Amino acid sequence: MADEPALVVEDYSFWFKPAPGRPEAPPALVDVSFEIQTGSFVLILGRSGSGKSTLALNLVGIYPDYFGGRNQGRMLIKHPDRGLINRRELEAADRFRLINMLFQNPEDQIVALTVEEEVGFALENYRFAPPEIHRRIDYALDLVGLDGFRRRETLHLSGGEKQRVALASMLALEPSILILDEPTSNLDPAGTADVLGTIDRVREKIGLTVMVIEHEVDEVFSRVDTVLLVEDHRVMGPFTPHEFMDERGIFVRDDMGLWIPQASEIGLELQALGIDLRGSVPLNGTELVEALETLNAGFPLASAPATGDVDPDPPAARNESRTTVIDVQDVSFAYGDRQVLTGISLAIHRNELLAIVGQNGSGKSTLAILFNGIAKPDSGVVLVDGIPTSDYDFAHLVKRVAYIFQVPEKQFVCRTVYDEIAHGLRSLGLSETDVDERTLAFLETVRLLDRRDASPYVLSHGQKRRLSVAAMVIGNPEVVVLDEPTFGQDYHQAQNLMQLLRALADDGAAVVFITHDMRLVAEYADRTAVLCDGEIVFDGTPSRLFADKEILARTRLKPPAVHEIADRLFGEPVLTTPALSQRIQEVIGDRLRTIL
Amino acid sequence: MTDFELSYKQGNSLFHRMTPFSKLLFVLSVSFVAIFNTNLYVGAGLFVFCFLFATFLTGVPLRQYWALGKIILPFILILAVVFPFFYGGQATVGSDTIAIRTPVKDLTWAALGFGALLALRFLALGMAGLAFAFTTHPTDLVQDLSKRGWDYRLVHAPVLGLILFPSFLQLGREISITQRIRDLGQDTNWFKRKWIRMKHLAFAMLVLGLRNGQTQAMALDIRGYGAYKTRTFMRELPSHRGGEIFAWVFFVLSVVYLVIQFNPATMQWNMEF
Repeated sequence: MADEPALVVEDYSFWFKPAPGRPEAPPALVDVSFEIQTGSFVLILGRSGSGKSTLALNLVGIYPDYFGGRNQGRMLIKHPDRGLINRRELEAADRFRLINMLFQNPEDQIVALTVEEEVGFALENYRFAPPEIHRRIDYALDLVGLDGFRRRETLHLSGGEKQRVALASMLALEPSILILDEPTSNLDPAGTADVLGTIDRVREKIGLTVMVIEHEVDEVFSRVDTVLLVEDHRVMGPFTPHEFMDERGIFVRDDMGLWIPQASEIGLELQALGIDLRGSVPLNGTELVEALETLNAGFPLASAPATGDVDPDPPAARNESRTTVIDVQDVSFAYGDRQVLTGISLAIHRNELLAIVGQNGSGKSTLAILFNGIAKPDSGVVLVDGIPTSDYDFAHLVKRVAYIFQVPEKQFVCRTVYDEIAHGLRSLGLSETDVDERTLAFLETVRLLDRRDASPYVLSHGQKRRLSVAAMVIGNPEVVVLDEPTFGQDYHQAQNLMQLLRALADDGAAVVFITHDMRLVAEYADRTAVLCDGEIVFDGTPSRLFADKEILARTRLKPPAVHEIADRLFGEPVLTTPALSQRIQEVIGDRLRTIL
Repeated sequence: MTDFELSYKQGNSLFHRMTPFSKLLFVLSVSFVAIFNTNLYVGAGLFVFCFLFATFLTGVPLRQYWALGKIILPFILILAVVFPFFYGGQATVGSDTIAIRTPVKDLTWAALGFGALLALRFLALGMAGLAFAFTTHPTDLVQDLSKRGWDYRLVHAPVLGLILFPSFLQLGREISITQRIRDLGQDTNWFKRKWIRMKHLAFAMLVLGLRNGQTQAMALDIRGYGAYKTRTFMRELPSHRGGEIFAWVFFVLSVVYLVIQFNPATMQWNMEF
């Protein structure tokens, strides 16, 4: 890593452009100062709405140049020929060649029909000669591992491939600094691994400075050199990852609501239990296992009796006592010529949280829309309480089987938060007094009472998600189906939402959630169905899924970090960090008693 | 993003090798002849010509044309059946009797021919338009027109619209589904419910479309789009001398034909002859 900084920010503040007739709001960024070394990998952390994206958009100059606003302070960028120069000295187009940004959703930035045109698009805008454009396309596609994809149509790429194409189109410009805004948030575990592997490869080959905003910290934290923390529109840091975890630790998770690596959670929980790991808080499984080995407590154990989350019951036995509410029998479905589901059979039970997992495009969402009759199977039957969905009145069926989309805004149909909730109750024919009483009570439960008169579209992402769930479950549906319920949410928001779903299941509902987040599956799912190429290839408990290496390899799923750590330490499945911390504590306690 | 049947299909046919400008010239010629021609035989001939052209000179299977054709064919048939009742001779101008009440037995051959001509018009236009869409790479169109002095951003805007249209369509579909799920307008009659849902769909698509559009605009800006007045193009522009000559000859013949047959007094929409 070169010593000269790639980016220097000095006393930088930014104010959004106020709406006409309105006074200027307090600054969105306050006195930001930091320095980023050339070639370093920086993680930008912060809770939803803290100003992470605003910081990124200011760094590339989208704010204030394109969308207005006012700024003060200095930003210096390393120019290959002129050294560190003030950002203001560069034209916008030249600046974008030095520092650029990749947005969260690759769909938002794909503008061409084929991969080569997409990657060449920016080069054409910068008036490169065609031979140079072709050379750079080859170079960029090679960097992201998509050599054979030049002629492929962008329309038919997987999520991970689209993100890598978007990354290649940035790399073709050979920027000095690249900012990635949650590059893995739309991806399955395989896509996430592909994208992160690509970033590693690119950094290794060309020494690019990369800044990433990311919630998927288990994979990212031990890769980065530096951490910036954005809180209340201020930026703290840079910290080294160990420094960050040692100094802020569990406070970041519990008080700020941020995700931290599971290995760090266990390390911090052990510290809280009085077990000194003799060093920094571990950032990954390897560091945790090494730290435990130094305790001379006999880790790793070849095998130990299971206590934690090991599930001794075969799924069939657990389900016998449960009432089936949806029964999918030998269902197949196709979009035109494209077969999406083949011979699917699945029972969904009351009081159960069922996770449906699988790669992008494996048919998860299609299966979910068969549950409430949005789509009808081509063959086979979907029974809800023993009656085929085709025999139901649609309006009646969707009240029994509530479906909640991944993007909450698509679900809002009213002008205020209050009306969104009340709408569901009014459709049940309740009196206005009852509607009012129950709406206010539910708004209180989901912590949206103070926003009752706001438009649903102006809420924060977490609030929108809570509202979309609340609006669908207010009528007490028998089944709640959610597509990526915790997408883009911080730790607190995700935990609160999942606890709400657990409570619904405990009250008798069947809850089905589609997710790529294996940590969520491990912590909350009673049962998991895995889809692969339109077929269910696994139906059982999460612990059995994570123990089935063949299925994991076939479906390119990855167990959560805690499961892998437990496997290395004990050779047995443990699904949650508190359970693993407790298990480690028990073993250490046993050893100490033996020694004494 | 869903598949979009109107998109470019790779190939090496004569039409693929023609410059976008000459294809545009051909399609415009077909359009003007189709619209202003009043002769049924010329209309039929033009349709047959476009059909044969699309079948043999574009290299695109007919089922691709049919994929869209089957959607618009019912509308064309309705036009062909209904419009003869509105033909000049069928309506008594100034009377209380409305044209649609003209008894079927009183329909004249001229009126039926008018209906047939209308259908042939749309069929010829459709075939020519689809042949253009299937064989013209969007970037080639931008490149060709910008080389002829057009601002590339101006030409690129509709092309971008075509590329981004499927995701916009998908957004509309999903909002429509949620309206059904949430039973929007459930306590009103059919017409009012449709009206409420239409209003909400327009509002939601505007809000979400604008937001997506803003992100897409940023994505374009940070890739230097519009940074300079011109840009380079990595694709080699197709060029075919024979095709170019064909397009110009067709254009000249079209203009000559239209000039010869143009007579305002005999146009069908002149209800006062």
